[in-house]
Amino acid sequence: MPDRPRARDGQAPDVFRRGGWVPMRMFRDDEAVDFLIVGTGAGGGTLACALAERGFSVVALDAGPFWRPLEDFASDETEQAKLYWRDERISGGEDPISFGSNNSGKAVGGSTVHFQMVSLRFRPEWLKARSLLGYARDWPIAWPEIEPYYEQVEEALKISGPVDFPWGPPRKRYPYRPHPVNAAGLVLARGAEALGISWAPTPLATVSAPRGMAHPCVYRGFCKFGCSTNAKQSALTVWIPRAIQAGAEIRDLAMAGRVEIGGDGLVTGVVYHREGEWRRQRARNVVVAGYSVETPRLLLNSACPAFPDGLANSSGMVGKYLMTHANHAVWGTMDEEIRWNKGPPSLALTEHWNYADDGKDFDGGYAIMSQGPMPAEWANSVAVKHGVWGIALRNRMMLYNRMAGLKIVGETLPQESNRVELAEEEDEYGLPIAKVTYGNCDNDKRLAAHSIRFMTDMMHAAGARDSWSEGGTAHLMGGCRMGDDERDSVTDSDGRTWDIPNLWICDGSLFPTAGGVNPSLTIQALALRIGDRMAALAARGELAGRRGRPSVTGR
Amino acid sequence: MLLGRLITPARGSRRRKPSPQRLLYSSSALLSLSVLGDSGLEHYRGLYRNRAMYVAPTIAAAGLAGAAAGLTGRSGRLPAVAFRSAVVTGLAGVGFHAWNLMKKPGRLRWDRLFYGAPAGAPAALALAGVFGLMAAGRGFPRSRPPPGEAVALVTAIGLGGNIAEVALLHFRGSYQNRFMYLPIAIPGLAAAGLLAEAAWPGKLDGALASLLGATAVLGPLGMVFHSYGVSRNMGGWANFSQNVLSGPPLAAPPSFSGLALAGFAALALRNEEL
Repeated sequence: MPDRPRARDGQAPDVFRRGGWVPMRMFRDDEAVDFLIVGTGAGGGTLACALAERGFSVVALDAGPFWRPLEDFASDETEQAKLYWRDERISGGEDPISFGSNNSGKAVGGSTVHFQMVSLRFRPEWLKARSLLGYARDWPIAWPEIEPYYEQVEEALKISGPVDFPWGPPRKRYPYRPHPVNAAGLVLARGAEALGISWAPTPLATVSAPRGMAHPCVYRGFCKFGCSTNAKQSALTVWIPRAIQAGAEIRDLAMAGRVEIGGDGLVTGVVYHREGEWRRQRARNVVVAGYSVETPRLLLNSACPAFPDGLANSSGMVGKYLMTHANHAVWGTMDEEIRWNKGPPSLALTEHWNYADDGKDFDGGYAIMSQGPMPAEWANSVAVKHGVWGIALRNRMMLYNRMAGLKIVGETLPQESNRVELAEEEDEYGLPIAKVTYGNCDNDKRLAAHSIRFMTDMMHAAGARDSWSEGGTAHLMGGCRMGDDERDSVTDSDGRTWDIPNLWICDGSLFPTAGGVNPSLTIQALALRIGDRMAALAARGELAGRRGRPSVTGR
Repeated sequence: MLLGRLITPARGSRRRKPSPQRLLYSSSALLSLSVLGDSGLEHYRGLYRNRAMYVAPTIAAAGLAGAAAGLTGRSGRLPAVAFRSAVVTGLAGVGFHAWNLMKKPGRLRWDRLFYGAPAGAPAALALAGVFGLMAAGRGFPRSRPPPGEAVALVTAIGLGGNIAEVALLHFRGSYQNRFMYLPIAIPGLAAAGLLAEAAWPGKLDGALASLLGATAVLGPLGMVFHSYGVSRNMGGWANFSQNVLSGPPLAAPPSFSGLALAGFAALALRNEEL
């Protein structure tokens, strides 16, 4: 782990060259930048690029290091745990969430540095789930408002996806062709064909053909532990280099401690910790993009006399309605060799239960994806979740190359009781840590049970000799939801907080509902939309600066 | 250089154009060479899992030997046997590859076409055999040379097949480099020219010759581009043992040169007939 920042002295690491550097514009701490962004993942990294390319002055902070994947990433699962957010958190409730690998990231690029690259759009009706499907809540934006941004993100990431995608409204072709489906994916395909439902190669943010300095994917299979070839199109390899080139400054190993408020009730900047000292960056606008735990935590930790319950929290909604995805799995042993660790872990999927409304005893939907856990990850799952140990574990691991499995990304319903609060304990910076409370509702449990029944049928239809299931969660959504009504949401549809006009949120915590797909594509589409909206507001002089003056105009 | 020496007769007038027969033998030789290199490498990539995978490179080598024999003036029964075997193997290969595509789960989908065995590729071996037989005068009454329009037609069909294959595989590569359109546009025009030549002989001699010349250049040019493509894979040429297999096929583009030579043969035959 680097002990001092790399992005300093007018240069930042070149992610495409071993030991390489690119020039980077620098701002003084006392220079009020147009936008100070806290977090550089799918939300913050994307927005930093969008704003810098429009000519705004941008500084983006990240608590994690600035990696060069070609030289910093090892083919070692344990070593690569350095990519996760492993700071202390308290996780409780009826069904406590396990934090780390599949719902956090601590690096420039955020969790996209180790995401599975699954890039799916929301089902359009989910944005109006209450009005059209009768459950949960409507988003404050409609499908036509986000669809063009999905397309922009897919183009920017050169998503490699199927020529004919079986679900959703007609769409533009994915920029790159799909990857070959591995044997683990073909197990899903056989199961889907046998049960009479559609399947498709998974649209992935890893290139199937050369793209600039990025080599095509070599199917190494370490995607979840950091892609060392740069085939992966993450915020670190796509948005951040563009942002730096456009004049943004990225500050790695910079932990935000408090958003500061001026006498006029507007934010004035952020106090952050870097290189052993607390510093204060002034800004005309602050965007919090720390994801569903750290975003509410920062707002709550920024409580001050003017906002005693935390910033932007007059509705009491900061930290509330946290969601995760059900991530239940069914595993089975096949007669033939599968070698499921080859290639990206989920090369085939079915969104059948995201789009079918009949035959369900639950609200919401789920996608099923083929799986390819790495050896240590698999051994951990077998030992911890199923209590297999000793010679039995050894025998089970001998079957590693003949295993196959399916996992869901399943929608959970937003509940007020699922929340992020501050604990009494403090972290190394003296900041109160987050306390997360989570429990599944009956609908969540029905969805999980339905998915396990269905995946068990699929596995046996695909030829599995045996099968067993397990529960799990992945991803985070909500915690600072957007809405149409300032009484029950934290921000408007632009991610602008209702309470403080120059304080914004741009990450997965904005989600009012979870949807049954991996959230990264939607977070990035939202970020591009927010960038467009900020520019439009700036052009109209409606972007409040200090003392309410319109002071940010961009290019 | 070597190619030029082979096509052009060793003796006689320095300026004399190569005969249709030499052109056809050369075409057959180049197509066999291309298949030998391409199937040899691709089947190696497939670990020769099925014994039948040895047949294509073996027969391509035999076809190459047959064409070389023809070019050096040694004809006889053995080259003809090689050419006939090439035709049979090529056609069987098309069937074999199609079967390979069909046995994957579900309906025929794009991803299977992209990554399954290339259905059209073995046809190049059949064409090598056909051009070899044409050069040897086999299969035609009284061992006469074939009519020009027959050669033009077969060449145009061959180009069409080759273009379809390239279009599919370059589509798989998302046409990430603009030059990937070249081996579709140029041979497409050449194939159209050949069809026109078959229908209205002698009308566009000059233009067709230029198009065929450009198609012939695609062979070496394609190899250069494909070498660059290999370099753009992880590790580049330093990692050649993996990247020659996973990068674009180095031996495939010369098939365009082979077909262009057959096109020149068609032109020469028409000129002799007219």
